[in-house]
Amino acid sequence: MIALAMGLGLAQTPSPTPAPPPPATAPLNRNVIVLDAAHGGVDSGSRIGDSTLEKDVTLALAFRLRSLLTARGFTVVMTRENDAAQKPGPPVAGSSALTLDDRAGIANHAHAAACLLLHATGAGDGVHLYSSELDSAPAQAAVPPWLTAQAAWVTQSTQLEARIGAALQRAKLPLVSSRASVRPVDSLTCPAVVVELAPQNDDRNSITDGDYQQRIAEAIAGALVFWAQQVQPPPLLPGGHAAETAVQP
Amino acid sequence: MIYKHQRIVFWVMVGCIVLMATLLFFERQRGRERILSLANQMPLDAPAASTEPVTLDLANDDNGSIHAEQRQMALPVEVNARVRALLDQLIAEYALPGSAHPLQQGSAVSEVFLLPLPVGGYSVNSAAAQRDDGTVASSPVAADPPGTAPINPGGELAVIDLRSTFVNQHPSGVEVESLTLLSIVGTLHANIPQIEQVRFLVDGQPRETLAGHADLLRTYPSRDTATPNTGGGQ
Repeated sequence: MIALAMGLGLAQTPSPTPAPPPPATAPLNRNVIVLDAAHGGVDSGSRIGDSTLEKDVTLALAFRLRSLLTARGFTVVMTRENDAAQKPGPPVAGSSALTLDDRAGIANHAHAAACLLLHATGAGDGVHLYSSELDSAPAQAAVPPWLTAQAAWVTQSTQLEARIGAALQRAKLPLVSSRASVRPVDSLTCPAVVVELAPQNDDRNSITDGDYQQRIAEAIAGALVFWAQQVQPPPLLPGGHAAETAVQP
Repeated sequence: MIYKHQRIVFWVMVGCIVLMATLLFFERQRGRERILSLANQMPLDAPAASTEPVTLDLANDDNGSIHAEQRQMALPVEVNARVRALLDQLIAEYALPGSAHPLQQGSAVSEVFLLPLPVGGYSVNSAAAQRDDGTVASSPVAADPPGTAPINPGGELAVIDLRSTFVNQHPSGVEVESLTLLSIVGTLHANIPQIEQVRFLVDGQPRETLAGHADLLRTYPSRDTATPNTGGGQ
């Protein structure tokens, strides 16, 4: 009996230990891109030249980018599609204008693979890229503080900035890459980069040139195709939304 | 017929008048001497104020950089007044003709408040909040945002209350606005070491951005913002 038992025991294969569950990560829709055309309505942004307003340039660039991204299979979420940024729903007197926090809310609900905040300036040359100045946080809390929610995504944002920067350089476009706290980038829970369009060769009129904007938009759209395949969302702290993981397209 | 007691009263009154006149004369003399002695103490030359070297982190719009420059300034002793004097000097530099970061002339800072850190005064012990199953017990109050504790004992938060006249006339743009804020933060870091964090108000109220771009709601850590010679930008 003992020998039989030992034989059975020896014959038994060790039960496989269950593989540890993958760490919970923040939700991410790889085929969604958020475009925030900055300013709008009474907020015209900076004045670029005699008759060019920043809000008009950012909206024009956003439309170009949306066309290119949609053609590449992305779902594009825009925070505004006309001059005045309005809250969804029936207009309410005095409170229907979209605030910067509203824009961040739209972007955060999309769980996008990239959030691009589009700005324009008459100073400098080429394209200026900025990512958040916040220090990177190791993991994302279930309810991160609103004003520092981007901290968990700073690593991804920096990588996205580098990828877009490389694409712009390949397109032989002048580039300035830096970090800055631009509202509402620190409240975004997605890889977020501020794209500031500046004139070409110090010619302020070039900022509204269609060919110039198209070159920039094509370089960015190309970079986002590769970015969407490689982006990894940050892990969540224990107790976070464990059921929400990366959403594959 | 004049009675004796009337004569006595008369001479007493005359004596009093003489006594009062004498007293008045001497008091006048003393007052005159006192005023003359005060006049002698009036300074005849301007006081020679002792200046000290200060470091201003000056922004340059042309290349988006910040570089440190030394200046000699007479600064007040009181810390709040020192901060105001430093920032007034910084903005005055930008208002000079030919400035690399031109800003409107005028006073930019309304008030400066220095608060000891941490302002909230509490923090959540994450180790104690960890349950056996790995989850974290939720706290009824929000945890302090990261980085609100002082790095060194005596660390302070500087709240800079800017004037709306300065903010409303500030040039709009990501770079130009960021350079102004970083220039202020860097100048405070270089000269007032106990300031570890900087926040901004406009006319006593929180405001989202400086001129549509740079974040005025966040707390800026005090740090050296001068662009290194070997890098920066691209």
